[in-house]
Amino acid sequence: MNPAATHRRVLACAATVIAAGMLLTACGGDKGDKGSSGTDAKAAGAKTSKVTITITDKGCAPSPAKAPAGTVKFTVANKNSAKVTEAELQDHGKMLGEKENLTPGLSGDFTLNLDKGTYSVYCPGASTNRSAFTVTGAVKKTWKDDPQLVAATQQYGTWIDGEVKQLVTTTAAFTAAVKAGKLDEAKTLYGKARVHYERIEPTAEIWGDLDGRIDGRADDAATPADFTGFHRIEQAIWQQKSLAGMGKLADQLNADVKSLNDQVPTVEYQPAVIANGATDLVNEIQSSKITGEEERYSHIDLLDFDGNLAGANEAVDVLMPTLKRKDPALAAEVTQRYQATAAALKKYAATPGYEDSGYVDYRKVTAAQRRTLSQTVDAYAESVSKIAGKIA
Amino acid sequence: MTDSTPDITPEPEERRPEAAAAVSRRRLLGAVGAGAAVAGAAVGVGGTVLARGGSSGSGGNGSGGAAKSQIVAFRAGHQAGIATPSQDRLCFATFDVTPGVTRADLAELLKTWTAAAEAMTLGKPVPGDVGDLNAPPDDTGEAVGLAPGNLTITIGYGPSLFDGRFGLAARRPSALKTLPHLPKDNLDPENSGGDLCVQACADDPQVAFHAIRNLRRLAFGTLAPRWMELGFGRTSSTTPQQATPRNLLGFKDGTRNIDATDAALMGQHVWIGDEEPQRWARGGSYLVSRKIQMRMEQWDRDRLGDQQDVFGRFKSSGAPLTGKAEYDTPDFHAKSGGQYVIPADAHIRLAAHENNNGLRILRRGYSYTDGIDPETGDLLGGLFFVAFMKSPDQFSTLQRILGQHDALNEYIQHIGSGVFVTPPGLAAGQDWSTQLFG
Repeated sequence: MNPAATHRRVLACAATVIAAGMLLTACGGDKGDKGSSGTDAKAAGAKTSKVTITITDKGCAPSPAKAPAGTVKFTVANKNSAKVTEAELQDHGKMLGEKENLTPGLSGDFTLNLDKGTYSVYCPGASTNRSAFTVTGAVKKTWKDDPQLVAATQQYGTWIDGEVKQLVTTTAAFTAAVKAGKLDEAKTLYGKARVHYERIEPTAEIWGDLDGRIDGRADDAATPADFTGFHRIEQAIWQQKSLAGMGKLADQLNADVKSLNDQVPTVEYQPAVIANGATDLVNEIQSSKITGEEERYSHIDLLDFDGNLAGANEAVDVLMPTLKRKDPALAAEVTQRYQATAAALKKYAATPGYEDSGYVDYRKVTAAQRRTLSQTVDAYAESVSKIAGKIA
Repeated sequence: MTDSTPDITPEPEERRPEAAAAVSRRRLLGAVGAGAAVAGAAVGVGGTVLARGGSSGSGGNGSGGAAKSQIVAFRAGHQAGIATPSQDRLCFATFDVTPGVTRADLAELLKTWTAAAEAMTLGKPVPGDVGDLNAPPDDTGEAVGLAPGNLTITIGYGPSLFDGRFGLAARRPSALKTLPHLPKDNLDPENSGGDLCVQACADDPQVAFHAIRNLRRLAFGTLAPRWMELGFGRTSSTTPQQATPRNLLGFKDGTRNIDATDAALMGQHVWIGDEEPQRWARGGSYLVSRKIQMRMEQWDRDRLGDQQDVFGRFKSSGAPLTGKAEYDTPDFHAKSGGQYVIPADAHIRLAAHENNNGLRILRRGYSYTDGIDPETGDLLGGLFFVAFMKSPDQFSTLQRILGQHDALNEYIQHIGSGVFVTPPGLAAGQDWSTQLFG
């Protein structure tokens, strides 16, 4: 059925260990991929350990009860037990693989890539429903053993810290204008502060209560009194066209942003978290900027879009050296799609722009134009979502 | 077409040929073929396996013994989903190639699509890393545990794909062009056309939707969805074994359809043959889709006698007004009191091959609904007409007559349209990319 070439490639695919229970088929190769075939072939030769698990009413002890780190194939056979019909391999309570619905006489198998450690075979219903299974071998290296990734997390942390400092400064200027009742000045200073928040949103969201107070929307608030922060003042400026009574909210916003600034430097970033944060930011563009949901009174959505995109790009940038090493094709695709998104956004750039935002009023962007923007963002998001799995 | 995105010139270091596609897509290609025996294929957490290698487990992964009979072969002389007995459900989508996409990108995607489509028609998930906690699952997952449901995935290429963007101008099948304006057309450009189409048919709507959704996902950055229809209640029988279903006007529709099991008839009316200079398209067909909105409320107020005169058939039995049983041949000459029994403007008279120099098409349509008309509160829905033919001219010829004279026009309106060439089936080892680009 399948072409010989493909078939050979399939057979040359080897399972690479990333972490217990995760599988990465090292089958990246095709016409344009040079140099990895040697390692593929070597890995393909790696031995698969075979373990038999026999289910009885009494238990499900694995045989042998030990295997070297790597690929392990578990064959589960139900000899004669009507009450025990499944067996799974667990890592401290987390199920990694299983074979179920094995009525008496049936057998089946599942294969896993396992790192060094102690696991258990679990068969609910048996009198001894748990048996130990040990995997020997080298301790798996983590990202902390990779200087490039360690550097990436530090670089990202430094960038976030800098952004939050700028958020403090710009929010102070904005809230000062609000408290002084300077409506026009507040209008142009609003976006200047917002953009920094939009860049660091995944980090800010670590503190849900702070994030809610700073960036919550009218519909997030349980009672009208709970609607505070940027968007409440935005509503006052653009919808109510009055800053009356905003003084207390301005003070609160200032205090919350300062509190964020105090806590952010304590955050330790992990590569996968940085990558997933980038995905969240691009998803944000799609769900709350393209839709015009976030800046519903001010309509400076394109500046928020810009902020989210810059935040995502920074996260991707620090991981890029590693990604280029591990998956050059994905690295190139991510870069190309980022550029396409940036170019699509740039079409709406203006100087000084609507409300000094550097962009046009989002209400001027037609439905068809929004759809085009959205499709570009979608494609970028799809690529970004694959980064974590490659670098983790 | 969407408006243009500026052409992005990549940095020099990104001009490598492999920059076109993600490795995950390539990896997917490593899993083509029924039961490709992936050495050491692993099962992740709760995942299914690409190749179950004769495992005797009774896992509900949709490829158990009972499900075997629900698999329609993906590779054959003709594409599945044309002569295949009509399944109950349809999900039909069209796509436009996004600006800046190269021939190589498109070729890569069609390869990927072939692998994914073949896996899904076997009731398997889109191949990839099962259970990698750090990556989004390669398959969206909603078809896990469902039977394959006779899923067929049929690809088609619109006239615009051969416009020179991808060096395909010289490969354009000779009859492939946008349909001319036809009488009473009221087409919405948003619901018409497209560079490519995919017709997914299955007995389970979730299986059909899953197929389209996953192909769309693999196409991010290469194709943008243009329009999509979900069809239910097949409105055509394509084999004598199938009872003729009823359309939303309550009439049996398609009684005199081509019998798709009749190879001679199919060769005569449906399959592109040696008359086509483009050898790659021979054995393929042309797909014409029309979104036909029905004015259901008005129709439901029409008296039964008139409804039957409009169609030329009895509503209850489906028999022609000149007959007793559904399959009785209509007598178009029969008169009563000086008038034709089957009126001069009856739908079946105007559409009959006897009255169109033997012209026939294979109809394979479905009912659709789009909810409620926001302006009137009336129901939106009708017939998502799909037909296959040797040349789109067959449809145009018929529709010129129907659009002008059909009594049914009072109750229907054509609001969307598409024409696509559907290539022939894939041989072993072939994929949609090599087939199209040569």
